[in-house]
Amino acid sequence: MSWAKEEVFLELKERFPGLQVEVKPHITSLHITKDRLVDLLKALKDELGFKLFIDHSVVDFPDKPVRFMSFYILYNVDRRERVVVKTWTDGTLPSIERLWFAGKWAERECYDMFGIIYEGHENLVRAFLWETYPYYPLRKDFPLEGYANAFLPSLNEVLRGDELIGTMNYDKMHTPVPSLEDLEITEKRRLKKRAQIVLNWGPLHPGTHGTMWFLFDLEGERVFQCDVILGQLHRGVEKLAENEMYNQFLVYTDRMDYISALCSNQAWVVAVERILGIEDLVPEKAKYIRTMMSELQRINSHLLWLGTYALDLGALTIFLYTFKEREKLMDIIEGITGARLTIAYPRVGGVRMDLPEGALEVIKAFIKRFPKELKDWEDILTRNRIWLRRNIDVGIISKEDVYFYGLTGPVARGSGIPYDIRKLEPYDAYPYVEFDVPVGERGDVYDRYLVRLEEMRQSLRVIEQCVKALENMPKGAPYFAESPDPKKLKLSLDGIGLKVPEGEIYSSGENPRGELGFYIYSTGGVKPYRVKIRPGSLYNLCIYPKLMQDRVIADAVTILASLDPVVGEIDR
Amino acid sequence: MYVLLTNLLTIVVKILVILAIVLGIGAYLTLVERKVAAHIQRRPGPMVVGWHGLLQPIADGIKLITKEDLFPRYGNKFLYNLAIIVALVPAALVFALVPFGPEFELFGMKIKPILTDVNVGLLLFFAFGSLAVYAIALAGWASNSKYALIGSMRKAGIIVSYEVVITFAAMGPLILAQSLSTYQIVQNQIDQRLWYVWLQPIAFVVYMFALLAESGRIPFDIQEAEAELVTGFTVEYGGMKFGLFPLVEWYIETLSLCAIGVVLFLGGWSPINIPLVGFFDPLFFLGPLSPFLWFILKVSLLFLFVLWLHWTLPRYRIDQITSTAWKVMLPLTLINLVLTAVFAPLVW
Repeated sequence: MSWAKEEVFLELKERFPGLQVEVKPHITSLHITKDRLVDLLKALKDELGFKLFIDHSVVDFPDKPVRFMSFYILYNVDRRERVVVKTWTDGTLPSIERLWFAGKWAERECYDMFGIIYEGHENLVRAFLWETYPYYPLRKDFPLEGYANAFLPSLNEVLRGDELIGTMNYDKMHTPVPSLEDLEITEKRRLKKRAQIVLNWGPLHPGTHGTMWFLFDLEGERVFQCDVILGQLHRGVEKLAENEMYNQFLVYTDRMDYISALCSNQAWVVAVERILGIEDLVPEKAKYIRTMMSELQRINSHLLWLGTYALDLGALTIFLYTFKEREKLMDIIEGITGARLTIAYPRVGGVRMDLPEGALEVIKAFIKRFPKELKDWEDILTRNRIWLRRNIDVGIISKEDVYFYGLTGPVARGSGIPYDIRKLEPYDAYPYVEFDVPVGERGDVYDRYLVRLEEMRQSLRVIEQCVKALENMPKGAPYFAESPDPKKLKLSLDGIGLKVPEGEIYSSGENPRGELGFYIYSTGGVKPYRVKIRPGSLYNLCIYPKLMQDRVIADAVTILASLDPVVGEIDR
Repeated sequence: MYVLLTNLLTIVVKILVILAIVLGIGAYLTLVERKVAAHIQRRPGPMVVGWHGLLQPIADGIKLITKEDLFPRYGNKFLYNLAIIVALVPAALVFALVPFGPEFELFGMKIKPILTDVNVGLLLFFAFGSLAVYAIALAGWASNSKYALIGSMRKAGIIVSYEVVITFAAMGPLILAQSLSTYQIVQNQIDQRLWYVWLQPIAFVVYMFALLAESGRIPFDIQEAEAELVTGFTVEYGGMKFGLFPLVEWYIETLSLCAIGVVLFLGGWSPINIPLVGFFDPLFFLGPLSPFLWFILKVSLLFLFVLWLHWTLPRYRIDQITSTAWKVMLPLTLINLVLTAVFAPLVW
């Protein structure tokens, strides 16, 4: 995928006098004033075909006269190119909820984190924090440690008073946590009861696959309206990113989508390599290893999805079958990287360490027997009448909906849109390997199920080719890049002193749950100025209230599991 | 006087034996289920308590009984406790109607191994089955929880639908046997040298479906649906009170429905039947014990079939279950009933 060229916008330039087109190697930006923003976005969407909404957020510059730079990343489906629309504001922006529903959720997040007021937004509520929280944490003037103004002593301090000594004597003032009243206000602001009962589905519920809090307004068992309260797992990863060095932030990408840590690592590392301009310097071996590992991780993640999905639909046995295979995969990953869940194996410039001896043999043995297992599970499920009745024609997503709601990953592919970053903007060894992108036809839950199953097979193909390539490499081949000029660019395994030049980039990787994008804004130095993470899960989830309209509770688990969100990535 | 005393004594002994069997087997079926499930899922199952986990049910029971007895705030305590009794008693009472074997002589007395051979046995069975809905509705209502309420309403919907189906499915064998007494139905099958399953295959299949639905087994376990409703109407129960519901629903009720199914369709305690030829008993060497063994064998086979389905299939949705009941099962049984009623008097 390339960035859009300047000549694409020549016609627009005449209609929008203030429009400036800025083309850089890794990004193409359109600068526009705030009052013409919606018109420009509408023109881009309807006339030029930039239909798919990727992301929207804000960069805060407290010292500048106009404080916030907001950006909208769009994707042209036909021409396969991206563009970033930028505008400056002092605190208000026009809402784009009529153009893209996904924009509505992104606006909520900006309101939550930066305090931007969106004019014309239907229900501007906070995305992650509770309604009565007074601060906007991603603003630059918000201190990293927060404002400790709530009296929250520990249990020991409550019981023993001030007698505690030494390390037991903590600060009693902490950053505030929501009280029950706060949560009630938050809940009331989200959903106005119109039917019979409001069912709190979550935050701790086995069907939500994490800590999501759904509100179902029920009429009998039919869902009249639905909304979701996020933020139970919010850890402020974007704020952390601004205060960590590039390689230090790597471990936080593990904890975002904790089921596919290697893929997130890879996306982040590739983004940093691109902004450094050293993508070509990375040795081939490291590229193949990264690709192979992230495909293993993709199978791992899809196995977890398949197991829990079947469990949600009552097929208890599949869960144990898939987890058994997953265990083997985890063992392979553990043997190679030393960790099972939060891995942090790739590094900017390569990988942390070489493959251990025998790793390729183990992987070969796994890919030899895995298709047989996969077929066994398919025999139980795919043509099962009950399975078909539960899945077919449930949660249909049309192609237009994919664009309108900004869906990516298997969810978009299930609706017949071959949107796969591995093909469109290949990174690492993906340009050298062969694989197909499976797409669905109807876009219902069943199609998404088939797409994910086929993706596992395609991942096997990729792994097989990677193993073959790695076997042909000499044993002492380098797995970490050499810096061309060590004085300017310090490349090391620990990444200390890695300075990134001024600039910005939006780079994304294909995660098992959709496009994981990183918008990095660097003002030079060892830390990024702003990192906006585009979580695939969040935008995939934003279609959920629409899909749940007029469905019963039993479909709630089916549809949710088919969207396959991971809360760590949604909340960040 | 003497006759009255001996009759009373036999009844008491029968009650004790049946209760011991039902509750003991009910408890041990949990182990069977766990073992079967484990082997379907390629794992060993309980192995620690006793040889191959043989003492596991006792350990589970002790654990459940010694747990803290929690009660949901704002719930209705009387109904909350009543629900357990209403669940357990009718399910156990069904076994009063199950004939375990043929009449035999002991100490000069003729004893039927059935608690009460009433001539409206099947009617009682249906009545007891319908009572289960009260237990679940009460449990859901008294728990004061939305999940429990939704779960109990789902289950009530299923039971109301499938009680009708199961009644009409049992109507076929009933016409053939021309009796409502369970003992007499089996005796008739033996006299006519034919299991009714050969004449009533549709009714048998429908009965098995209804069995799964009534006992809340997968693919019809939507009242529990742990992924949607956590555990449905039992969500607010704890300790042994919680343990009793699955025990009643999944084991005692399934077992009683399997037993009645064997009585209606598979010739009760009779050995293997080949149509037009007669009975064939590979267990003849056991002498008078063989009928009892056959009965147990058949019931456990049906039970294992239920387990097999439970640990393989996904689950239906509520609207699909009820629509299957009213749109497919009920018409099928009605057709079967009409055909039986028309042809049985001509041929029989």
